Amino acid sequence: MIPLFVTLRVRNPRRHFRLWIPLFLVWILLLPLALLLLPLYVIACLVAGMNPLRTAAASWQVLSSLRGSHIEVNHDRSLVLIRIS
Amino acid sequence: MSEDRRQILEMLADGKINADEAERLIAALEKEPATAPGAGSESRPKAKPKYLRILVEADEIRPGHGPTNVNVRVPMQLLRAGVKLASILPAQAQGPVNAALHEHGMHFDLSQIKPENLEEIVEQLEDLTVDVDEKNGKTKVRLFCE
Repeated sequence: MIPLFVTLRVRNPRRHFRLWIPLFLVWILLLPLALLLLPLYVIACLVAGMNPLRTAAASWQVLSSLRGSHIEVNHDRSLVLIRIS
Repeated sequence: MSEDRRQILEMLADGKINADEAERLIAALEKEPATAPGAGSESRPKAKPKYLRILVEADEIRPGHGPTNVNVRVPMQLLRAGVKLASILPAQAQGPVNAALHEHGMHFDLSQIKPENLEEIVEQLEDLTVDVDEKNGKTKVRLFCE
């Protein structure tokens, strides 16, 4: 299953914010654009000598497996956190 | 047929025990593996780790700056997908990628990655634990699967 939410947290001595991005809405918005770019993608794959279906499957797998990723960098009094769920 | 079961049946055939006793002994034998202490935990298959975890703890690098901690959790599934993605790179792109890897000290050939070898690569990673302690103890890097 593709990631549905991203949590972004930034904290430093001057500011502190937390963003919760509903990715499922982004996917819905990107869907028409993806359909428009589909022929271009197929042509690019064929020019590069890659199988468009295999490439799409592998890319989808990469996207789906992003769920559960967690990146947290804490330095001094600053923090950056990205969590994909 | 197990050795114990054969022995019980031989005892029954020899008339040393009757049918009821043989039945009781066989039933006890069947229960034994489930109730034996510690047997459950040993026979249970090892849970597959889901994530690759990278922890970096660095003490004050420059005076006036505090410590740095990095905590990264990468799903094992992402490693699988990444390896699969690398394996479908066209042949003409693999050369420059291999050269760039070689330049950075990674003597690795992308053409050797085959989907059938993928599980083996990931399985090997599951037992991996890397601990790096800098000589003066200021930086610690820990890499493990969980």
